[in-house]
Amino acid sequence: MNVLLQTIPLWLLAVLLFLLLRGHAYKACPWFFAYVAFGVAAGLIRVLVRNYPHLYYATYWITEAGYDILGLLVMYELIRTVLQKLARTWWGRLIFPAVLLAGIGLSVVRALSAPPQFSGLAFYIVTGEIAVRCVQALVFTGLVAIVLILGLRWRQYPFGIATGFGGYSFVALLMTTKFSDFGTRFTFLWGWTLLVAYSIAVLIWIWFFSVPQKPETPSPDLPTPSPGALQQHQATMEQYLDWLRRMR
Amino acid sequence: MFSQILIWLLVASNALGYIYLLYRAWTRVPRRDIDDVVPFLYPVDLSLMESLLDPAADFELRWQLSPREFREAQRRRMRLYLELLRRMAHNSTVLAEFNSVLLGDDKFTSGPASKLEEEAVKVRLYSWCTRLRLGIWLSLPLNAFGVMPALACLRTAADLDGPKAYDDLKAAAVAAFVQLEPAELETLTRNL
Repeated sequence: MNVLLQTIPLWLLAVLLFLLLRGHAYKACPWFFAYVAFGVAAGLIRVLVRNYPHLYYATYWITEAGYDILGLLVMYELIRTVLQKLARTWWGRLIFPAVLLAGIGLSVVRALSAPPQFSGLAFYIVTGEIAVRCVQALVFTGLVAIVLILGLRWRQYPFGIATGFGGYSFVALLMTTKFSDFGTRFTFLWGWTLLVAYSIAVLIWIWFFSVPQKPETPSPDLPTPSPGALQQHQATMEQYLDWLRRMR
Repeated sequence: MFSQILIWLLVASNALGYIYLLYRAWTRVPRRDIDDVVPFLYPVDLSLMESLLDPAADFELRWQLSPREFREAQRRRMRLYLELLRRMAHNSTVLAEFNSVLLGDDKFTSGPASKLEEEAVKVRLYSWCTRLRLGIWLSLPLNAFGVMPALACLRTAADLDGPKAYDDLKAAAVAAFVQLEPAELETLTRNL
């Protein structure tokens, strides 16, 4: 594959990193910022060592493990951010461990029934990677369900991050389950499809993070209401309270 | 094979999620005018709600009626409360949709875009959790086991006090639609 084409996600991630820095988004989503920064660094290192097979092999698998760990931390951040705004219930804390267990369980069962063609540490990294994709798919589906039930706004950074990861994990899992039927052409298809899917995921993130996010509480910079408007508001509130008293 | 089926289910649910997002992006929120708000609201009787959730009412019914009669009465009260919850959830959806039209749905926010939206989400969360519980209770043959849960324990769900959350939604609606004519505002409040 052409080096320039191979590095498309890297350039896109660099643009995303710039947008995250410009919008101070690292305050809202620190783990996602770490993930993107790591992605840029890992991509650069992979390009630099691409002519040294042994070094490239080691770098590839180490960075893949890094992607997996950071991918999980981003999922934890998403669940925590969305749930802490809704309700602080005791079962809210159990959601991430439950999703994590489900993802790991699914990946392990799959690895036992159809073992990946790797040995040693790479085997565990690939199994872990499938677990991370399952977790990402579950988190995306769960967030869509929350939006559907509660009517939340989708245009929030955590949902944008989930959309990108959801799309990528959808393609990755689809490839894992279906495209292995392609036989020898599999590696070629795998590489291209994942490259395109990841680039689309990064484009989704770029789109979300290119728009500054407004604070949820009214900004102190907002113009102060006029005394007339305040009086009208107070009169309405008193009228409303009077209705409430009469209703009871 | 089993893992394969589960992964396929996960992939299918992801695809459905994307279809829903595309549908939502395509249709956006219904373009509600102020004229499309008041007639779409169903009145929620808060005093009835309070009486249903009153532990003393539960106790009184249990005291006055035979166990069989009490279970029947309790099932009727559950259905009534379920209807109130449906209305609460529906009203919060209507108000949130109109509010989205007023604020513009294109904005990126770090949470609910307004106090009204925040309260609407709380009401929907409460009503969803409580409807789930009530749905389970009503679908189980509790009569056969001779048990009947008290409605008072439905006052809070997901750490939210239901009647208080709905009261807060009403207050937020009045504050959000302060620009309405007094007559319109009165109708809005009456229909909530």
